[in-house]
Amino acid sequence: MSAAFNLDEYINHHIRDSHQWQLPFLPTIQLPPYLSLHGVMLLIGTLVLIIIFCFLYDKKQPVPHGFTNLLEFFVVYMRDEIAIKNLGEEEGRRMTPFLCTLFFFILVLNLLGLIPLFTAATANLNVTGALAFLTLCFMIFGTLWKNGFKGFLKAITPSGIPWLILPVPFLMEFFGIFTKAFALMIRLFANMLAGHIMIFSLLGIVVTLGLIGLPALVLGVCIAAFEVFVAFLQAYIFVMLSAVFIGRMYHPDH
Amino acid sequence: MHGSLALVGMGLAVLGSSIGIGILVAAALQGIARQPEAMNKIQPLMFVMASIIEAIALFVIILCMLNLNK
Repeated sequence: MSAAFNLDEYINHHIRDSHQWQLPFLPTIQLPPYLSLHGVMLLIGTLVLIIIFCFLYDKKQPVPHGFTNLLEFFVVYMRDEIAIKNLGEEEGRRMTPFLCTLFFFILVLNLLGLIPLFTAATANLNVTGALAFLTLCFMIFGTLWKNGFKGFLKAITPSGIPWLILPVPFLMEFFGIFTKAFALMIRLFANMLAGHIMIFSLLGIVVTLGLIGLPALVLGVCIAAFEVFVAFLQAYIFVMLSAVFIGRMYHPDH
Repeated sequence: MHGSLALVGMGLAVLGSSIGIGILVAAALQGIARQPEAMNKIQPLMFVMASIIEAIALFVIILCMLNLNK
């Protein structure tokens, strides 16, 4: 090695957002100030989604086969188990496109992070913040649109509480809306960040210790395989909790 | 001594969360052992709840990482 290997900088360089993209055998691509590396990942994710759903998804088959069948499984699962169960029959059908988009977008972004030359855009607090902000907008403005301001207050107020102490649980529920969206943001961000830090730490051990550290490489590959499962799970949990929170605001049972 | 106190906080965060997930998985396994046909209903629910419990530990780890440089 020509220069001393700094583990801290190695991990930070692969996790943080930057304006340079280093590909092998090519000079370092310098990105313009308005587009960072995570922005490029977002654009690539959008492109992958458009290719998959506009061109590879065959709508003309009466009975789905192959790749269409695989996507059908996820989409129908989203509609039946997540959207309709939490939001009711007709509202569920109207919200299914939003929930499916959220699921596939988060899934594609998470999986892109595991490919060696790309980085995970969901390991950036701003990206997950924007996605959680969408859910927050549906929770607040959707309820205001559907049920009016009185309906919004009725959705926040817990039931069966004497009016004297009502302000306290009311405030708790009101801040609970923001806390739930914040938790959605942090959960996805922290899971992706932790997974990538683990992988890069293990790879850094191999470089630091030399030949003795080769079992760490095996462990790194195993953790990367586990991260595929975590990618699916975190996308599913984000969408399911979004549907649950939006459903509880639209149709409060209390 | 060398190092930051935030690392102790990181270790403490994992303590309660791991015990909680252990109890959750034990209950799920008991439920599946009583009625093996219910595995398709219990298992996805177990993963979902484990992720919610894990999120609390991850909040604290992220907060500790912000204070790592003493």
